[in-house]
Amino acid sequence: MSRKVCVIGVGYSDFNSMTPDIQWKEMMYGACQKAYRDAGIDVRKDVDSFITCGEDYWEGFSIFDEFVPDQIGAVLRPCMTITGDGLYGLGTAYMQIKTGLLDTVLVEAHSKISDLLTPGEIMLHAMDPIFDRPVTGPVQRPRYGGSPTYTKEEPKPLIGATDEKQRVHPYFLAGMEMQHYLRTTGTTEEHCAQIVAKNKQAAFHNPMADYEANITAEDVMGSQYLFKPLKSLEISPNVDGAIAFVLASEERARELGVEPLYMSGFGWCSDTPWLGTREFDGGYAAKAARMAYKMSRIERPREMIDIAEVDDRFSFKELQHLEALDLAKPGEGAMLLEDGELGRDGSIPTNVSGGSLGVGNCYEATGLQKALEIVVQLRGEAGRRQVDDAEIGLAQAWRGIPSNSGAVAIFQKGGA
Amino acid sequence: MTFLEKQTDPTSPMHWRGDMQADYLYPNGWAGDRFFKNLRDKGTFLATRCPKCSKVLFPARLYCEDCFVEIPENNWIEVPTSGIVRLYTFAKLDAHWEPLEKPRCMALIDIEGTDGSILGVLDVEETDEDLTGLPVEALLRPVKEREGTMKDIVCFKPSV
Ligand SMILES: [Zn+2]
Repeated sequence: MSRKVCVIGVGYSDFNSMTPDIQWKEMMYGACQKAYRDAGIDVRKDVDSFITCGEDYWEGFSIFDEFVPDQIGAVLRPCMTITGDGLYGLGTAYMQIKTGLLDTVLVEAHSKISDLLTPGEIMLHAMDPIFDRPVTGPVQRPRYGGSPTYTKEEPKPLIGATDEKQRVHPYFLAGMEMQHYLRTTGTTEEHCAQIVAKNKQAAFHNPMADYEANITAEDVMGSQYLFKPLKSLEISPNVDGAIAFVLASEERARELGVEPLYMSGFGWCSDTPWLGTREFDGGYAAKAARMAYKMSRIERPREMIDIAEVDDRFSFKELQHLEALDLAKPGEGAMLLEDGELGRDGSIPTNVSGGSLGVGNCYEATGLQKALEIVVQLRGEAGRRQVDDAEIGLAQAWRGIPSNSGAVAIFQKGGA
Repeated sequence: MTFLEKQTDPTSPMHWRGDMQADYLYPNGWAGDRFFKNLRDKGTFLATRCPKCSKVLFPARLYCEDCFVEIPENNWIEVPTSGIVRLYTFAKLDAHWEPLEKPRCMALIDIEGTDGSILGVLDVEETDEDLTGLPVEALLRPVKEREGTMKDIVCFKPSV
C-alpha cells in the first residue's frame, strides 16, 4: 500500500463568465483532451478509471453520471460521478490508485453555471426544507394529486406569514459568517477588502483568470453592502470552465517518462447540516488539513508549505481558511496580509492564481482550479506569477453555501 | 479550446430552453412532528436533552449528533420562545439577485435553555450597532392562524 500517486497530466478549457457558444460536453471534452495530451496517453487504452464531479441541480438534469462517459473517453469503461467538489474526485482517484488495482485515473470537474438561469433558487434548495427554507421567504406550495398544472390565471399559490414577496438570496449565510469572523478575530472590513484587491491584481498574471481587475481596497470598500458586512466586490463572480487531471501510480509515471509530481496527502470533513449546531469557524478545513498533513508527514505546516490555494469565494473566507489550515494562528491572517506574507514573495504565498475572486467561482471545479495552480507552480510553469522554490503546495476547497464541509490536498515535488 | 473552428458570430449560438417541475412533500419526521404540533397548539418550543452528553438539542431531535444515541421519552423539555442573537446580517438581495424591498435582517438565534439555535428574521431597522447578544423573542402568528410550520414564527423581536 506504499505506492505513491502522481499527477501526470492537467488540462483546462477557457474560463469565461458565460459560454453560450459551447455545450458543457464539448467543454469537458476540450479539458480532458488537453489533460490526456499533457500526460502523453491514449485515453481509450491507458486510462483505468474515470471520475467526474458534478451536481444534478447545477447541471440541469437528473442522474448526471449518465451524461458523462462519451465526452471524456469513458464509454464502456469504469466511470463514476461524485456529487461534490473536484478535490473529492482527486481524493477518490488517489485511493483507487493506492489500492494497487488501478494505475491511471482521470478526474474532471467543471462549471457551466451560466446555463442555469436561477442559481440562487437552486442554492436555496440546498437548505433544510422544514426549518430553514421557509424562513427565507414565501414558500411555493404545490397542489397534490397527479401532475400539477398552473396557469397564468391560477398560478402556483404562495403562502407566507409575512407580507414579504421575495425570497432572500442564500448568500446571506456568508454575510452572517463574515460578521462573526470579524467580531471574533478583530479582523476589519478593510482587511477583507485588501484580500479582494490582492487576488484580483494577482489574476492579471494568470491567463485563465476571467475577473482580474486593477482595483484597490478602497474600491472594494466603496462597493455596495449586499449581505452586510459583505460587499458586492467581495463575492467571487460566477465563471464557466472545465478542468481535468490525470493521476497515476509512480511506476506508471516513470514508464511514461513523466517527472513525478506527487499527490502526497488528502483529507476531507463534513460538518453538520444544522445551522443551529455548527461552528462558523472553518472547522471542517482544520480537520481535513490535519488528515492530509498526517498523510504527508507535515508537522509544521506554516514552515513546510511553500504555496497555498485556499477557498476565497467570499473575501473573509481566505483568512478564515488560512487560520483553520494552521497556516496562520487564529486571528493572525489579517496581520500576515498586512505584512505582505500572503503575496507571491511572502512566506506563505496564497491564491497567487487570483483565487476564486480573480478567476471566478467555478462551483464544483473550484478545488481543481486550486490544485491546478499548485501543479503548475510545482512544475515551474507559472510564468510571471511563479513562486520561487515551490516544493510543497496545498489546495483547499469548501463545498460552498450552505455547507460547512470541504477537502484539502497536498502536492509535492521530488521525493515525497 | 481544442476545436478547429469556433463560433464567432454572437447571434448564431442557439439553445433549448428547459425547466424543471420539482415539487416535494417533506415529512417533518417523528421529532419534527412533535415540535411543530406543540408550536401550533401551545405556542412554545420543544427541545430534547441528550442522555449521554446532557446537551439540550434544539430544535428537538430524535438523536444526538455528537453521541449518536437516541433520546428517551422523558428527556423532552419545553423551552421559552426567546433567546439571544448569535449571528446576523442585513441582506439586500433576493434569490434572483434583485434588490429586496427593504433590507432584511437574517439572524441565527440561540434559544434560551438550549445548546441550539434557529434561523429567523429579526424585526429591526438596519444599524451599524453590533446586535450580537441582543435578547429577542419570537412573534408567533395568532393561535387560529397557526398551521404547525416555521411560518408560525412571523419573526423575532428585540425583548422589551
Ligand atoms: Zn450527546
